[in-house]
Amino acid sequence: MLRTAIACAMLALGAGWGASWLTHGFQVWTAEGARRLEVVQQPIAAPAMAIEGPQVAERDLRQLLAGNGHVTIVDFVYTHCESLCLALGNTFQQMQAALLAEPDDAGVRLLSITFDPRRDTVERLRWYATTLMKADPALWRFVRVPDASDMQRLLDLFQVVVVPDGRGDFQHNGALLVVDAQGRLVRIFDLAEQQMALDYARYLAAQGQL
Amino acid sequence: MARRRLQRPWPQLAAIGLLAVLASPPLRGLLEASMSLHMLLQFPLLVLAGHVLAGGLQPSVAEKLQRWNAHGLTGLLAAALLLSLLMIPRLLDLALVDLRFEVAKWLALLATGAALRLSWNRAGLLGQFFFLGNMLPMTAMAGSLFIDSPLRVCNAYLLDDQIRVGQGLIVACVVVATAWLVMATRVLARQAEPQMPASAAE
Repeated sequence: MLRTAIACAMLALGAGWGASWLTHGFQVWTAEGARRLEVVQQPIAAPAMAIEGPQVAERDLRQLLAGNGHVTIVDFVYTHCESLCLALGNTFQQMQAALLAEPDDAGVRLLSITFDPRRDTVERLRWYATTLMKADPALWRFVRVPDASDMQRLLDLFQVVVVPDGRGDFQHNGALLVVDAQGRLVRIFDLAEQQMALDYARYLAAQGQL
Repeated sequence: MARRRLQRPWPQLAAIGLLAVLASPPLRGLLEASMSLHMLLQFPLLVLAGHVLAGGLQPSVAEKLQRWNAHGLTGLLAAALLLSLLMIPRLLDLALVDLRFEVAKWLALLATGAALRLSWNRAGLLGQFFFLGNMLPMTAMAGSLFIDSPLRVCNAYLLDDQIRVGQGLIVACVVVATAWLVMATRVLARQAEPQMPASAAE
């Protein structure tokens, strides 16, 4: 009976340790939650890779995110999307309106990266940005990553998971990714937390200007 | 006393065959492509394989293990803890992208099956009732969370798939609870019967 008690105690300790590790001390239960927590603890530098987009002069992602002294709110979308990306687009439109309403440049920019570069050509992005999203090219830009392996590297690094649903569409973890002026992904906000994301980006930008 | 006649280990060979098939890349890919096949088919099959494999343990080894397993307590606790850990959605995502977690998941499921095999009968109806009384409500609760969650708990899987898993988990709980109640009723009824003349003559 003593042996059984010892074995049970060890098992309980082991499982408790395992569960605590898996959930970051019982704070998160999903991979998405863990991703958001890990980014706060350890920012992720945006990688250097070729990009292209309508009215985007920069040819490199790192340069675009780190080279201008701006804080950027990034989302990952695809233009054939009829659900989550439209909600993301709507959120971005509202953030754009809020930024345009400010008298001074807050130093915050918006960037939408497509994860469907096969169908989302530069032309398609131009149409999507101007016609559908009414994006102001000075504030909100759209880019694609032409190289497929670069694309996957970026998705892996930022832990954006894209699952084809077999009908030509995708399910993906849509979120607002705040990238600081040094080009590091520092916080991930939920779609519903757009005001917080915007305030946080403004705060970072203001700090950088001091 | 358990019968100790020598048997050819056909069930264990079949279990190893099942494991090989499950581990083969095409089938593994297929079963893990959908959350419902992953949790409702691959998980139970691996537990089953562990259950069968444990039946092939040398009696001397099994006896040594059982010294640490009074009334099947250790085994049932191990099974309960492992299943609870495997229910954390993050583990499913990790197993898909990191081979180390995939291996750990397989070992945990095999160990769960083995622990159940070595402990179920020793635990008696009371121990079994306590085990199921904890596990089934927890599993059904996880199932209803999967159904009600507006968010995907696994980044790798689709939302309608997650809802199917939730429904499947609840159905599985009902089936297991019913099967156990039927079994328990039979055992209790047999105990309540007067001794049969055949056994009395022994």
